[in-house]
Amino acid sequence: MFTHILKLIWKKKKSNFLMMLEIFVSFLILFAVWSLSIYTYRNYVKPSGLKAENVWAVYINFNTQNDTIRGEYRELVRRHLSNIKEVEHFSFSSGNLPFSFSSSNRDFEYEGKNTLSDYINVEPSYAPTLGIEMLAGRWFTYEDTIGKIDPIVITRRMAENLFGNKEEAVGKIVGLENNQQKVVGVIDYFRHKSSFQADENCVFAASESWLSDMLIKVAPDATPEFEAGLARSMQQLGKDWTVEIQHLDDMRRTQDKTIWVPILILFIVCGFLVFNVGLGLFGILFQNINRRKGEIGLRRALGASKSQIWTYFVGETLVIAGFGVFLGLFFAVQLPLLNALDVESAVYGWAMLLAVLSILAMAVGCAFYPSRQAAAIYPATALHEE
Amino acid sequence: MLSLSHIEKIYRTDTVETLALNNISLEVAKGEFLSIMGPSGCGKSTLLNIMGLLDEPTSGQVTIENQVIHGYSDKALSQFRNEKIGFIFQSYHLINDLPVLDNVELPLLYRRVSSKERRKLATEALEKVGLSNRMKHYPTQLSGGQKQRVAIARAIVGRPELILADEPTGNLDSAMGHEIMEILEQLNTADRTTIVMVTHDEGMAKRTHRLVRLFDGALVSSNQFYTA
Ligand SMILES: Nc1ncnc2c1ncn2[C@@H]1O[C@H](COP(=O)(O)OP(=O)(O)O)[C@@H](O)[C@H]1O
Ligand SMILES: [Mg+2]
Repeated sequence: MFTHILKLIWKKKKSNFLMMLEIFVSFLILFAVWSLSIYTYRNYVKPSGLKAENVWAVYINFNTQNDTIRGEYRELVRRHLSNIKEVEHFSFSSGNLPFSFSSSNRDFEYEGKNTLSDYINVEPSYAPTLGIEMLAGRWFTYEDTIGKIDPIVITRRMAENLFGNKEEAVGKIVGLENNQQKVVGVIDYFRHKSSFQADENCVFAASESWLSDMLIKVAPDATPEFEAGLARSMQQLGKDWTVEIQHLDDMRRTQDKTIWVPILILFIVCGFLVFNVGLGLFGILFQNINRRKGEIGLRRALGASKSQIWTYFVGETLVIAGFGVFLGLFFAVQLPLLNALDVESAVYGWAMLLAVLSILAMAVGCAFYPSRQAAAIYPATALHEE
Repeated sequence: MLSLSHIEKIYRTDTVETLALNNISLEVAKGEFLSIMGPSGCGKSTLLNIMGLLDEPTSGQVTIENQVIHGYSDKALSQFRNEKIGFIFQSYHLINDLPVLDNVELPLLYRRVSSKERRKLATEALEKVGLSNRMKHYPTQLSGGQKQRVAIARAIVGRPELILADEPTGNLDSAMGHEIMEILEQLNTADRTTIVMVTHDEGMAKRTHRLVRLFDGALVSSNQFYTA
C-alpha cells in the first residue's frame, strides 16, 4: 500500500509539492517556536539561586560625588538600619541590583583565556540578604578585603568556564599582575536578570567605591506603613537625600514580562500562520477528494471498506507531510551540528520531536474530516457521475 | 448463484421520488452468462449495482451463493465484493495516474496478498486479456478497447465467481466490442465465471445464454438462447 501511495503522490508531484512546501515551512516555524519554548521553560525551572521574597531594593541618592563623604553616609545608614528590628539583613551593592534594568560586565583572565561575566560589587552581608547558598568555599568577609588580593565569589558556570570541570575553583587567582582577584567561594546559580535567564557567568567583588544602592531583607510581617516610615527615616538621615524603595519580586515580575510578552506575541503570530497553513491543507484535501470521487467509488467497488478509504487518504496526507517534515529536519539538525547558538542539543532534540508530532497531528487533523467525507461517498453514485 | 426476490428501489430527492426498480425477481445460475437490455434510464445500472452490493434495495432480498445479504457490516460487504465480484464499467474507470499493472493489482490491495504475489496474479490476468506487453503503459496511452481489456484484467485478477459488466462495449466500435465479447465468453466457458452484462447491442445479447429485458424498472421479458 505504501508504494501504491508513493506512486500516486509522485504522479501528482506538482500539487503535492506545494503542500509539502507548506508543511516544510510550518515545520520550521514550529521548530523555532518549540525550541524557544523549551529553552525558555528549561531556564525557568532552574533554581534562581536567590530569594527575592521580602527583599527590597533601596535606591539612595546622597547628592554628593565625594567618595569619602559617601562612605561616611553609608556608615550612617548601616548604623540606622542595624537598630530596626524588622530589618533582618541589608547590603550595599553596585547599581546593578537583581531584576533592575542596569547591568555591568567585565572580562576575567585565567591562564591567557578571557571570559566575560556579569560583575556585581557587594558587601559580605549580600549573601544572607538574598539567601544565597554556597556550593564551595565561603562568601567573602571584611577581613578578606583588607588583604593584598581582593576576594571574589563566582557562579559554578563561571568556575567551569574559567577553570574547566575538573579543577577546584576555590583558591584560584585570576587577573593580571596588578589587578588580581582570588576566588574564595563558588555559588550554584545566580539568575538575577529574570525568571527566564539562562545559567550565566556572574562574579561578586567587594570594591567599596562602586557601592551605590542597597538591598534590605525585612521581616515577613513588614507593613506598607513600615515601608513608608523606613523611607522617611532614611531620608531624614541626610540633608537632601532621596530614597526610593521597590520590592524585588515586583521588579522580577516586570523583567519577566519583558521576556514573556514578546514570546506570547510570537506564539500568536506563529499560531496564526500555522493555522492558515492547516486551513490551506484542509482546502486542498477537500478539493482533491472531490476530484477523485470516481476513484473512491471504484476503490469501494473493488473492495475497499469505508475505514480503508479513510486510512488511505489520511495515509496519503501523512506521507506528503512526512516528506515536508523530512526536509525540515534536514535543516533543523544543522543547528545543533553547527552549534551556532549557546543552546544545549537536548533543546533542539525535544523541539524537533515536538515539531514533528505537532505537524503530523495537524496533518491528521486536517485530513480527518475530508477523508471521512471520502469514506462516506456512495460507490454507486460516485461511479455514476463519471 | 445469485438470486433477487421482489427487489424495489426508490430514489428519493427533496422534490421527486423515482421508482427505479419495481418488484424484480431474478435467478442467475452458476456459470450462466446473462444479458440485460432496456432503454436508457430503465434501471439497468441500478439493478447491477444492487447485484454487486454497491447499493441497497429499498425492499426485497439479495442472495448470493445461498447467503442472504442482509445486515452485513460495511467491512463484511466490502470483503464480499472484493472476493466474489468483479466489476466492468462502460467508462473503464481506470486510475490514470497508475500504470496498467498497478491498475490491475488494485483489488488485491484490499486483501492479504504479498506484493510479489500481486505482481504475479496481475501479470497473469493481463496475459489472459492479451495485454502483457502493455504493463508499464499508462491508461492514457491506450485505445478504448485496450482500456476495457485492462478493466477486465482488473475484474478477474481476484478470481471472482461473478462478473458484473455495465455496457462494457458501449464506448467501443464493433470490432473492439467483438474482442471484448470474446474475452468474456472465454471467461464464461473456460473458467465457468458467472457473468451478468448490460448491453444495448442485440447481437451481443444473442451470444449470451439468456436475455432479460427491463422497461421502466420492471422485468418485461426473458429469452433463453442456450443453457449454461
Ligand atoms: N443516485 C440516484 N439518485 C436519484 N435517481 C437516480 C440515481 N441513480 C439513478 N437514478 C434514476 O433511476 C433510474 C434508473 O437509472 P439507471 O439505473 O442508471 O438507468 P440505466 O442504467 O438503465 O440507464 C433513472 O430514472 C435515474 O434517473
Ligand atoms: Mg446505465
